[in-house]
Amino acid sequence: MRRAISPQRQAPKEYAMDDLLADFITETSENLAELDVALVKLEQVPGDIATLSLIFRLVHTIKGTCGFLGLARLERVAHAAENVLGMLREGRLTPTAEIVSLILTTADQIKRILAGLAETGQEPAGDDEALIAALNAAAAGEKPPVTAAEPTVAPEAALAAAPAAEMPAAPAEPPQPQPQAEQPQAQEPQPAPAEAARQAAPVVSPADSASPAEAAPSAQTIRVSVDVLEHLMTLVSELVLTRNQLLQLARKQENAAFSLPLQRLSQITSELQEGVMKSRMQPIGNAWNKLPRLVRDLSHELGKKIELVMHGAETELDRQVLELIKDPLTHMVRNSADHGLESPEERRAADKPETGRISLNAFHEGGHIIIEVSDDGRGLSTERIRAKALALGLATEAELAAMSESQIQRFIFRAGFSTAANVSAVSGRGVGMDVVKTNVERIGGTIDVKSVPGLGTTFTIKIPLTLAIVSALIVEAGGERFAIPQISVQELVHARTHGNGNEAQPVIERINTTLVLRLRNRLLPLVALNELLQLAPFSIEEQAHYYVIVVQVGANLFGIIVDRIFDTEEIVVKPVAAILRHITLFSGNTILGDGSVIMILDINGMARAIGLNAEEEKYLQGKMLSSETAVETEKTNMLLFRAGSSMIKAVPLALVARLEDIPREQIEHVSGGKVTQYRGQLMPLISMHDQESEEPTQAVLVFNDRGRIMGLMVDEILDIVATELRIELGAARPGLLGTAVIAGHATDIVDISYWLTQAHQDWFSITKVEQAETAARLLVVEDSDFFRDLIGPMLNASGYHVTAVPTAVQALRLRDDGQTFDAIISDIEMPEMDGFAFARAVRAGGPWRTLPMIALSSRSSDADKNTARESGFTDYVVKFDREALIASIRHCLARPPAPALAA
Amino acid sequence: MTGSQRSCLVVDDSRVARCVARRILEAHGFSVREAENGKIALEACRQEMPDCILLDWNMPELNGLQFLRTLHGEYGSDTPPVIFCTSETDMKYIEQAIANGAQEFIMKPFDEEILVGKFQQVGLL
Repeated sequence: MRRAISPQRQAPKEYAMDDLLADFITETSENLAELDVALVKLEQVPGDIATLSLIFRLVHTIKGTCGFLGLARLERVAHAAENVLGMLREGRLTPTAEIVSLILTTADQIKRILAGLAETGQEPAGDDEALIAALNAAAAGEKPPVTAAEPTVAPEAALAAAPAAEMPAAPAEPPQPQPQAEQPQAQEPQPAPAEAARQAAPVVSPADSASPAEAAPSAQTIRVSVDVLEHLMTLVSELVLTRNQLLQLARKQENAAFSLPLQRLSQITSELQEGVMKSRMQPIGNAWNKLPRLVRDLSHELGKKIELVMHGAETELDRQVLELIKDPLTHMVRNSADHGLESPEERRAADKPETGRISLNAFHEGGHIIIEVSDDGRGLSTERIRAKALALGLATEAELAAMSESQIQRFIFRAGFSTAANVSAVSGRGVGMDVVKTNVERIGGTIDVKSVPGLGTTFTIKIPLTLAIVSALIVEAGGERFAIPQISVQELVHARTHGNGNEAQPVIERINTTLVLRLRNRLLPLVALNELLQLAPFSIEEQAHYYVIVVQVGANLFGIIVDRIFDTEEIVVKPVAAILRHITLFSGNTILGDGSVIMILDINGMARAIGLNAEEEKYLQGKMLSSETAVETEKTNMLLFRAGSSMIKAVPLALVARLEDIPREQIEHVSGGKVTQYRGQLMPLISMHDQESEEPTQAVLVFNDRGRIMGLMVDEILDIVATELRIELGAARPGLLGTAVIAGHATDIVDISYWLTQAHQDWFSITKVEQAETAARLLVVEDSDFFRDLIGPMLNASGYHVTAVPTAVQALRLRDDGQTFDAIISDIEMPEMDGFAFARAVRAGGPWRTLPMIALSSRSSDADKNTARESGFTDYVVKFDREALIASIRHCLARPPAPALAA
Repeated sequence: MTGSQRSCLVVDDSRVARCVARRILEAHGFSVREAENGKIALEACRQEMPDCILLDWNMPELNGLQFLRTLHGEYGSDTPPVIFCTSETDMKYIEQAIANGAQEFIMKPFDEEILVGKFQQVGLL
């Protein structure tokens, strides 16, 4: 009698259950999401009363509301779970892993039933007896049998279905068993509420909206159908377009009468647009709340200990984008857990904490949202990727040899690429990173990967905050205008078609038949928009200058030649008409302020159209830097100058104390050389060649060496360039370390330590004698040939015995061979094993355990310094602060080294 | 109170339960306000005391019993009739609820007949 059972009562006209069901589905889905999170928390902090109460209440609410809708199947399941939870809350049961799993299974079952309900408007048929029996057994304190329904199940279940049967004061009416289960409402199954529920589901707001005015106390938030928001968005878009049109008209008219109200209108429109956009925004956390449960399940399934850390869950983005990014994110977390993280044993062996960590990090950056998914696992195995790429015929051995680590890592985004040796139940589902990449690119985003062997992998996704209105660059080609989404645009370049000798200026060239842009030290593929869209014939010889838009697709850059560049505009994206959809060069169209309709270029489509892919890119880079090694090195600021020959010379800028122009009359000739008065000191001037310059002033690079100064006379200071140094040492002559390609030119790298000895011959001989007996022994670990050759002689000159090796692995081999040192100086960014891992390995045990270790890095952030300390470094010196390095070594050794410069 | 519309505050953390109650009560001439937990309900009462309250037991923030105690502490005999709403797992709290000033209780899930019957019993209809 308690139940609204008879059909005529179930759906009386005045309380038609239409949107009640939709409401129920939404509410229950929200509760289930919260339940998942709470259950995972319970497992981490068992017996936490607040969590237990929350879990109980959630299930209790689900059960309670089922009754109103006559959802018997759901109610029985929820009821059985509630019994168990009641016992947990009262402390009569302890939440063991089995029980938590059982409740999670129950939550899954409820989700399944709910899905069926949303689909058809009716509870799907199904058998929950085994589950209910397991729950009842758990409530009775037995080990969950999982199968085998007990005889007691039926009566209890009947009780559950008719909960009020034993209520006192209730007029006895036999409990009505099942029939109502199949007819939750008298109405025909209706897709409408289900549809509404699905659409309303993502809107998370705790309050009710039935009548906002009356529900005053809870009116902080209201629920609005997504349709309403979509419609609002469309209207605002139209308004923005109309506003733009008006503004354009007003600009021509110079009529002040309506310019003021128009300005106001314009401003309000912008604010309105912002407001409506905001109403569509949702925290990214909504896409994340399923992940703790996923990770929890995965850690059980895979036998790994995994911690999930989430930062920036409150970062908001458009709900449409949010929906589209959900699946890729889930897949990436799954991948990290499955492939990225090692087993506890492997982690122990690698000296890492047993519990692996997956971090999600979201933040806004200039109209985009950046989402990072990182793990502290084994990192990508370049070896395996290389082997797989070879096996799949994606690249030849020679091509692979010329590729950088990061280029090889990007193979994982290729279709059909999966390096997992054994396809596991978790990740081997036919969805690879290529699908993730495609999905991210579909919404105008980009994805990148960065991985350090032994330390982990970080995927970075950059996506626009919204798809409805984007910032775009308007360009013209062949008399037509086009929009290029700002997210892809890297830079705008005004390039010459003929080099004028100025290396700083980008030049357009033809290599074989391909147009390329020589930009700084790279060659980029070029496409003329005119040619690609067959708007007008294009010939590179026509003009002396062209405008080039450099755009990025994944890790690849290419240039688009256009006739004119206008402005950046906020454009409203309209989908491409069906008739044009097969043309992959366009991602949509938009209406500009002057009313003209223009196409939005799809940069990914263009990249495909011109056949740009990793091989092409690599081919070009290979042409550029023939001596390229596979390892990426950090960038170093190099000072370029000319001295003597026409060959450009370079020194690391960090070594140079000052640049001076010294009047020639101040240069004095003394026996064996030239000197000048410089800051109260006599500064020896060294020339790299014999010719006398006639210029009235002499350009001098001043080097300062712990109180001693030296001037290097040069003909002309050219430029300062940040570059990756790759030196061919074979070509070295005295005074030169070798040759490197800088800004596309072969450049001599000057060996400053050589020239220092030229200035102070005596200085070297003294130290040589002294160091033989007292010198401390230093081990230098540095992958860059250049720096190794720089630091070695320099420290040597300062009175230390130096052993230098290029890799941490080789360093550890020295340890295992029984070699001893007084201190270790190590680079941080190195391939294979980096400085952090090296420090940890040294500290982990062995004869070097207590040696002072100095980190040497080009990065100087506090985070880096902290990481260095945590890894076991004694001190941290920024490359290339020579004074600081010497001071640090002295300090670390806690005794002065040989008095090298005591004279 | 005669002549003017009676008001009822429905306190329940489930939107669905509130919705069901609202429909029934509005069909019988009540103006209905909703609150999703005891804390919000308390604020609603302080703003404007309803003529009666339909109160759920298990809610976040402030549960039914805590709400009832606080309300009685503040308003004493001026507290309007409270119908305590419970499900069979909460039954042991009925006694506590009555002891703390609830007029009547009603079992979940309720339908129109049951709810109206209870309201008549208490003299609200």
